[in-house]
Amino acid sequence: MTIIPRINMRRTLLIARRDFLGYVKTWGFWLSFFLPFILIIAGAVIGIAAATFNFDVTPTRYETILDKTGVHAQALRDSHEDRLKEREKDAILALKAFGVLPEGEVEKIEKIYEQQGLDGVKSHVINNTPITKEQLDKTTSRISSDLIFIDPPADTLDGLQAYLREEKLVTVDGEEVKLNGALIISPPRTAKDGEAYVQYWSQNFNHTRVKSMAEDYFKERAETTYLNEGGLNRRDLKIASRIEPYQTFDPTKAQGADKDSQAVTASDKLPYYVAGILSGILWLTVFSGSYMLLTSMLEEKLNKLLEMMLASTRFSEIIFGKLIGVAAITLLAMSPYILSGIFGVIGYIAFGTDSEIVNGLINSFSIKMVVFFLVYLILGYLFYGAFFIALGALSQSMQDAQTLTTPITIILTLMVWIVPYGISNPDSPILTFASIFPLSAPFAALVRLPSDPPLWELILSSGFLALLTIGVIALASRIFRFGVLSGSGAKVVTDWFKRKILRKKQRKSCKA
Amino acid sequence: MIQYPLTLKNVSKRFGGKAAVEGVSFEIGSGEIVGFLGPNGAGKTTSIRMSLGLISPDEGQVKLFGETPGANAFGRIGFLPEERGLYKKQTARESIAHMARLNGMAGKLAFKLADELLDKYGLSEAKRKKNKDMSKGMAQKVQLLSAIAHDPEFYILDEPFSGLDPVNQQVLESIVREIADRGRTILFSTHVMEHAERLCDRIILMNGGRKVFDGSTEEALNTAPRRMVLASEAANLTDLVTPFVKDIETRKDGALMLTLKDEAEAHSVLETCVEKKIKLTRFEPRPPTLHEAFVALVGDDVRADMQLTPETSADEGMT
Repeated sequence: MTIIPRINMRRTLLIARRDFLGYVKTWGFWLSFFLPFILIIAGAVIGIAAATFNFDVTPTRYETILDKTGVHAQALRDSHEDRLKEREKDAILALKAFGVLPEGEVEKIEKIYEQQGLDGVKSHVINNTPITKEQLDKTTSRISSDLIFIDPPADTLDGLQAYLREEKLVTVDGEEVKLNGALIISPPRTAKDGEAYVQYWSQNFNHTRVKSMAEDYFKERAETTYLNEGGLNRRDLKIASRIEPYQTFDPTKAQGADKDSQAVTASDKLPYYVAGILSGILWLTVFSGSYMLLTSMLEEKLNKLLEMMLASTRFSEIIFGKLIGVAAITLLAMSPYILSGIFGVIGYIAFGTDSEIVNGLINSFSIKMVVFFLVYLILGYLFYGAFFIALGALSQSMQDAQTLTTPITIILTLMVWIVPYGISNPDSPILTFASIFPLSAPFAALVRLPSDPPLWELILSSGFLALLTIGVIALASRIFRFGVLSGSGAKVVTDWFKRKILRKKQRKSCKA
Repeated sequence: MIQYPLTLKNVSKRFGGKAAVEGVSFEIGSGEIVGFLGPNGAGKTTSIRMSLGLISPDEGQVKLFGETPGANAFGRIGFLPEERGLYKKQTARESIAHMARLNGMAGKLAFKLADELLDKYGLSEAKRKKNKDMSKGMAQKVQLLSAIAHDPEFYILDEPFSGLDPVNQQVLESIVREIADRGRTILFSTHVMEHAERLCDRIILMNGGRKVFDGSTEEALNTAPRRMVLASEAANLTDLVTPFVKDIETRKDGALMLTLKDEAEAHSVLETCVEKKIKLTRFEPRPPTLHEAFVALVGDDVRADMQLTPETSADEGMT
């Protein structure tokens, strides 16, 4: 008996076709296929509609500060204004992602903001970049209108209650609006209260923006007071603690004329993250594919059609047919994301403005990475898929299937941990072992690839996985035959195990 | 040229130490229609599964078309298992075409054939219907058509009549006759003796995993006890017929059901009655049934498992 199962490709593909169409012809499949597009389109439509009809998605909140100390109200409002300016500046900097801010502009803008404030930044951007005034105003306008502080409509908390309960409305620019919240600042009751006793009143008590703004304000004031007592000030502290992030260097990197030539850049780091993402895609494919195979097998068994099919096809053809069919479904289901990824990467390499990211992407998709990704994707899917098929053949119900798959599901779930661990510890012995151990090899070996492990380790790992995959398929074929024809559930596996394996061992030990 | 599409030689199979089939040997000749009879648990399904290579015998030898059962026989066999079903989301024509294609038929031809078969057997309306929406009878017909669409040389039908209503049983019988008319070989298992009696050239009786009879239907019927119904107003009728019978039972209508001794003849009973001037109101020699033959061969303990024919049902009037 040969361990490599013989298959007739025509029959195998016919089984694959049926399985594929069985899923694809359901509305549920197409719903889940198109759902991301539907959500993207819906989001875009809502966004365009909101912009066209000036519909405020996050309506303006009107808040007030009732300051019984007479010290903090204006300072708090000034602090709010500063925060708004900071956010407007960040929104301008975010335009870099769309490629409209030329390189080097980020640093310039930060400097101008520090020296000349937001107005300086705005005039610099309008005069020195392709961004027009209209575009700039559009970018920043929403930020300044989402929270407005108004003067307190009443002098006491009791007086404010009616507004906070919406029994009365406040008038702002001739328009009647509701008061969303009120910050009540009173003199401290005890030393524990610090500089003031602060309450925040609002029907929407989960809203934290004004509350945290007040907390930051009073914290900053306390720090300033503390520094002043020691003859220091916040500005000096800020300057003193502004340390450039430590730079990382890679000794294996080629040394150039530049003193920073061995410094680690985004281009060096990117391959690790890409490997992590590819490992994640592989995991997702294996996980979703395996469960699809399990349910497909169970459905097949419950449909009671297998015995009839077995007079026309080999067990191995049914197994391979299912593996191919479900692989096609999984690929089709993931194709929008895979294609978006491929076009995104190619597009960025061709037209991207950040040269470091372009180089990083080129390094990430080396021939070695692509080849081994495909090898591990195929082997990992076949290995786990055959396993789940065998378990599906042994199950009589979904409950049976869940019981049988629990151990393997735990192992698969543990693999999620491998990716972040592997990115930060590519040379760990745990990862080396995991990249050779067949259950974890597909995921761990991929994460190790950017750190350039010895080729023999990769060949050993994939060869070992290939051998085990053949073994699992052969075993699955036998379990499948047994499970289908016995028509029995998980209990039969244990009985069979006791009968066939344990007795054989007993007989051997008796002979010995 | 292979004479025997199927040969079993001293085949045995055990499950967990319990013998499901023990030392069974038989051959199925080309063009034969063989009834594979026996009560539940007789070893019919296990023998069929071994014949197809779905399970291996523990002992003995199985040859299908002269070879160990396997891929060589794919496409030459039409198999309808006892436990059968359909893909719920497929339509009837897709189901038939799928199986036909698996058995080697080209795609377009398979769909064309599926349409023809569905039209022929009154299932035109089911063509585009999903299997899950079909009645049980319709689904069973589709299952059968799926198994036979590729027109194989050898048909193995495991309990094909089970679960079918009388009308559909007639349809199925006609399908089997059509197949037989084309010279194909058919082996079908059943515990409905009436079908076997009507359709088979030969029957193989199984009981407790062993073959208890293998021969023509006529030979099988000859093993059944000869019975007759006798009725008269004479009080001494029972005494008069006692020398001729093994057993006498009184029916609900007062008539006697006689089981004749091996050497006794029905006409001897009649002659004696005439001699003794007994006025008979009823004299009916009963033709033997396969059910009776089976009971005679394996004993009365399996009676409950065997489905009674309408003819034997009438005998249930006995007290």
